[in-house]
Amino acid sequence: MIECENLTHYYGKRLIYENLSFRVPEGRILGLLGKNGTGKTTTINILSGFLRPRSGVCRIFGQDITSMPPQLRRDIGLLIEGHVQYTFMNISQIEKFYSRFYPGWRRDVYYDLMSMLKVAPQQQISRMSCGQRSQVALGLLMAQNPSLLILDDFSLGLDPGYRRLFIDYLRDFVKTDGKTVFLTSHIIQDMERLIDDCIIMDYGRILIQNPVASLLREYYSYTFRMENPGPIGLPGLYHPTLRKDRMEVGALMPPQAMEALLRSNGIAYSDFSGSHVPLEDVFIGLTGKY
Amino acid sequence: MIQALLYKEYIKTRAAYALLAALLWGICIYLSLNVHRIAGIKGAAHLWEVAISRDAIFVQWLKFVPLIAGILAGVAQFVPEMVQKRLKLTLHLPCSCTASAGTMLTYGAAALSAIYAVDFLILNIALGKVFAEEIVSRILMTALPWHLAGVTAYLLTAWVILEPAWKVRVFNMGISALLIRLFFLSDTPEAYNRFIPILAITAAVTASFPFISVDRFKAGRE
Amino acid sequence: MTLSICHMRIHDRHSSPLVRTARCLLAVLCLLLAAWVLPWLYRFATAGKQDTPFALYSHITGGFAFAGRSGGQARYYGADGQEFSESAFDSILPFFYFRQLTADGRFPDSISGVAVTPYDVQRSNFTFRTTPQECNRKGVPLYPLLESRSGRVDLTMPDDVFRMERRMEFIDMGSNSVNEDKSRAFTSMLEKKGFAFPPSLIAGNGTARKEYDNGYMMTDAAGKLYNVRMQAGRPYVRPIAMPDGVCPAHMAVTEFRARDMLAFLFDTQGRFWVLTSEYDMMQVEIPPFYPERMSMVIIGNMFDWTIRVVADDGEHLYAVDAQTLERIGTYTFPQPEPSVAERIGKYLLPVKLTFLSAKDRDVYPRFSFFSE
Repeated sequence: MIECENLTHYYGKRLIYENLSFRVPEGRILGLLGKNGTGKTTTINILSGFLRPRSGVCRIFGQDITSMPPQLRRDIGLLIEGHVQYTFMNISQIEKFYSRFYPGWRRDVYYDLMSMLKVAPQQQISRMSCGQRSQVALGLLMAQNPSLLILDDFSLGLDPGYRRLFIDYLRDFVKTDGKTVFLTSHIIQDMERLIDDCIIMDYGRILIQNPVASLLREYYSYTFRMENPGPIGLPGLYHPTLRKDRMEVGALMPPQAMEALLRSNGIAYSDFSGSHVPLEDVFIGLTGKY
Repeated sequence: MIQALLYKEYIKTRAAYALLAALLWGICIYLSLNVHRIAGIKGAAHLWEVAISRDAIFVQWLKFVPLIAGILAGVAQFVPEMVQKRLKLTLHLPCSCTASAGTMLTYGAAALSAIYAVDFLILNIALGKVFAEEIVSRILMTALPWHLAGVTAYLLTAWVILEPAWKVRVFNMGISALLIRLFFLSDTPEAYNRFIPILAITAAVTASFPFISVDRFKAGRE
Repeated sequence: MTLSICHMRIHDRHSSPLVRTARCLLAVLCLLLAAWVLPWLYRFATAGKQDTPFALYSHITGGFAFAGRSGGQARYYGADGQEFSESAFDSILPFFYFRQLTADGRFPDSISGVAVTPYDVQRSNFTFRTTPQECNRKGVPLYPLLESRSGRVDLTMPDDVFRMERRMEFIDMGSNSVNEDKSRAFTSMLEKKGFAFPPSLIAGNGTARKEYDNGYMMTDAAGKLYNVRMQAGRPYVRPIAMPDGVCPAHMAVTEFRARDMLAFLFDTQGRFWVLTSEYDMMQVEIPPFYPERMSMVIIGNMFDWTIRVVADDGEHLYAVDAQTLERIGTYTFPQPEPSVAERIGKYLLPVKLTFLSAKDRDVYPRFSFFSE
């Protein structure tokens, strides 16, 4: 569905990333995770056609984004960061507006969602709460019924209730029709409930691209006491942190392999424990706290 | 699709345009009534005399009003597009960006021109009751570049507002200010008669500038 | 230069042809604006102004006399370099300074053997001024026709104005309606005198602030000259014979106190004609003068006229005899050397664009190349 090859982009002279490549297969929900400044928004902007990368190609439906025929955008739903919509319209005006652009417009889907919002049809979107606005944006996306959705930080500004509501509707919508989704969010808990695959970005590169399930299965958070406290630098270990004599470290290997690694490198340890952790901890473990 | 785009522009700007129309027409009606009032007090002959021998045009007050209206119209239409980069929504619609931006600009320029046309209608009717056609046409021809400045200012405002980068935006403002200055170089009645066709071409040329801004917006320039 | 800017900005191969065209148009426009603003800023930064002295032909000395300033001091001198005191300057120009001379009790009884009084001087003095800006001015083509023979000393403005198109049409200003009777009367009188509508030139002074009224000078569609007045409410139309080959390009009704002239005419060949009150045409002996691009000031008295002409090639003084209109003196002011800034500016900013001109009041683009 989405193929990006060798993306390189700079802001002025500041390198964002170089030769970044990834692909999103059809029917999958892919979440892009990364700390601030790793280029999440840059990637979303390139994908949605609002940024020309310095070099590299991005294809959606096999078409180079920069020269894509406008009609193809019918099949791409875009949610702009902050659920931006035309706030000077009310919910019926905005439906009337968008319906003209999409032949497969599903009016009922939109109004079903709106009926739950308890807003008057004449109420301007600008006078709605952030949560209500997110439902309007989602309703419009669902009515558009695109096969690919690009969602930029859908959780921004939403309280937990609306976030949950948004995720549940989105998940239903996407899973029923086998949509492909590319999304970012700064709340990783939300992603865990939603995404199939994730790309974790570090500064200037992709750290890992894996299905979430396998990532959660393979990643362990380990703690052990070191007999001779000191820094350890072993391949496959992520961000070892020493507190007094207690080492905390993450790794994509099961406990047996980990213990074998420690032993083979002559590290004396005791009190060893390893456990699965939620996605958020996986993310922090892999990218570090700083 | 074009219809839907026009519908959006209409919803967005109807209040602003209604206000601008009320302002412009109000001023034209006021100026017309004032001419009638002075004709009643001092006699029409006095007004004719100052028109013929002293270059009076009686609507000097209107001079910068169409310009201000043009800028406000541009602001009312394009600032909401740039707040939260809402223009992305418009540009993501499944029609060419040239078509959507072109529709927006055509809508604004046409609505503004319609408001301006009524200005001329009001002045033409009201002044035609007091003055001979020679004087009326002199007044209208003098007011024409002011209104042309309004349309040009609208297009330039769109160019400035849609520009994504601040530095370039400041440059655009400078060029716009110089261009607009061209419309106000002389207070002499009908001084612009020969220049008006060229100014109209200039206005048409400036209509292409917002497309540069949209292109830069799409390329993510900052 | 234009092309390279276009080229520079079209590095973006993704832009549509419209955007590329727009960038080129913008570049061209920026260059034009630069050609307008930069020379203006340059002049603004380097401007220097200099004045030519006041000058008159002196009947007493038989040459031009100048009053200028040098080093902050008033300086009076003749063309031959002779210096005058202020009071001597007054007395060699008795027609111009007759008030001062009268106040000082120095006004002579006779000049060149002709007995004169301050009253005679006042009656025969006149000034006339024409500038390209005035000449090229486009006024409202509506003209008030005053009563020339009202029997009253003070003139009064009429209640109507006339337009000249297919006929002479009077419009009552109060009611903004055509006065059919008056229009018919004047039109038929004009036609009777052979006037071919529409007129090509109309000249007159539509004001009551003058001594008397001589109506309007008009040339008709065939180029024939007419004087049109209203006398006792009735049309007065007088065809005027002109020497062969004279085709007026610009006219002015004089209405000076002396009443010896009707109008000044400038023809298409730059000749300057005086139409006397006897309807004779006399040529003034000065080099070709074109009022649409030169300006002229005449200060005349009963003996001679000083004619100051400002043209592109400089400022000239001519003196002519008031009776014969033959030239009796010529002087050309030395042209100021272009300043260093101006000479550099010529090459620094080879193309200049201006919209205003001292020669007319139109706003219109005017290009000049390698000009100072």
